[in-house]
Amino acid sequence: MIVDDLFDLVSYRVHPEPHIKVNRTICERCIHRACTYVCPARCYLWNGEKERIDFAYEPCLECGTCLLICDKGALEWHYPKGGFGVRFRLT
Amino acid sequence: MKTYDVIVVGAGPAGTTAALRMAQKGLKVLLVERGDAPGSKNMFGGMLPNCPIVEELLPGFWDEAPWERHVVKRILTIMSDVSSTQLVFESKNFDNQPYNGYTLFRPVFDKWYAEKACIAGATLLTGCLVEDILYKGNAVSGVRIARDNGDIRAPVVVACDGVLSLLAKKSGLVKEPKPSDMALGIKALFRLPEEEINARFNLVRRQGVTQEFLGCTDGIRGGGFIYTQTETLSVGLVFHLDAIKNSGIAPYDLLERFLSSDPVRRILKGAHLMEYSAHVLPEGGYKMVPRLFTDGMLLAGDAAGLCYTNGLNQEGMNLAITSGYLAAETISDAFQKGDFSSRQLAGYETRLKESFVLKDMKTFEKTVDLMHNERLFSVYPALVGSILEQLYCSDGKPRKKMGRLGWDAIKAALPMKELIADIVKGGRSLI
Repeated sequence: MIVDDLFDLVSYRVHPEPHIKVNRTICERCIHRACTYVCPARCYLWNGEKERIDFAYEPCLECGTCLLICDKGALEWHYPKGGFGVRFRLT
Repeated sequence: MKTYDVIVVGAGPAGTTAALRMAQKGLKVLLVERGDAPGSKNMFGGMLPNCPIVEELLPGFWDEAPWERHVVKRILTIMSDVSSTQLVFESKNFDNQPYNGYTLFRPVFDKWYAEKACIAGATLLTGCLVEDILYKGNAVSGVRIARDNGDIRAPVVVACDGVLSLLAKKSGLVKEPKPSDMALGIKALFRLPEEEINARFNLVRRQGVTQEFLGCTDGIRGGGFIYTQTETLSVGLVFHLDAIKNSGIAPYDLLERFLSSDPVRRILKGAHLMEYSAHVLPEGGYKMVPRLFTDGMLLAGDAAGLCYTNGLNQEGMNLAITSGYLAAETISDAFQKGDFSSRQLAGYETRLKESFVLKDMKTFEKTVDLMHNERLFSVYPALVGSILEQLYCSDGKPRKKMGRLGWDAIKAALPMKELIADIVKGGRSLI
């Protein structure tokens, strides 16, 4: 599968502080959990055991998809601090 | 406190053009970029369509700019589950300078371009995120950057901070866009030797191709693309955000299917995956373009929603460059009058309306509705494949006349009411 390799080919300078914060209490009201499949960087995963969204900001591509598809307002969304985050080399 | 004549936020094609032009006019310009280098945050298909204004800005622009290939050939591939149909257009005229379009890498191009703005006298600040707008009364009078003593003042600010523009939102010019007015693009970059690319696409020298795909998205409103660079291929998909959200399918899973489809797999044979990227893009067309100015501030490029597709043309970067240029001309006039009020800055919208930027977006205003027709991405691509297959199929049975065959296939594919509605809508948007 090509897809499995995609995510390892992106370079980042990760800031210690997350630039997006997820309010899981609000997520409890969400029935579609679209972020878990629409996010092109797989930042949002549904944890079936703990019944919650697990979020990782490190692989974020800063594309804006989650901000626009979250209809519950569960995200506190910012770009990473200047000079941090994804660093496209050629694309 | 630091002060400038103008602050430009975002060193992409719109911002750098604006900064460069204003620096040429002798203004003290600050160009702020959140990436550690210009272009490092940008996802691009892509092709920069010929944009004559750059030659006015920097004579000899195309001789010096770091582009990859000039596009001489445009391919449209219509895919069904079992077949694909191609429309290939190539022109000798596109092989003469000025070329009709250029493929390029944004981290390379944007960096080169921003250096030109610096040479003209602009100050470039990279790795610097703008966090807020500063006001004097009701007028924008600067920005706050995330540093100690981060307030920077200027009588006018140009917001070129992209499709998710914080400045456009904070100023109240733009509201949170609807997912149906936005698209998600994802892209994989592959390395392939230059000779292989030339052989597979039948190219010589620095000739390049763009290839668009319809019917490759599992019925989700969207499409696929391949762009040729010198020794790389950009391959990806674009979807309407509401459509991908409702589909329940992950974009990278659709990309996997696209990459393994026959027409794409053969082109990519032996190619080496290098990079992956994704970004949203404005796809609401003319109706989504907001008010483009307020007291002390202008919007340009993606921040102004200046991006459109009519099915065959996908334009954005040329609109960004031209809008940045026209913003600079407007601000230059404003300095002569010493007036930065919205009444003075309204000249920017007039200029854009007189240029191809808003004229083209207006021309294809209704195409946005056409692009939201689900059938364009499922029923019609399958129909094209089915008609051509029947036309070519030899199976020992008597043939039908072409008209009859086509008509029967159409009747089997969709109800008459829908067909008529689509013809009317398609006609309105393109004819």
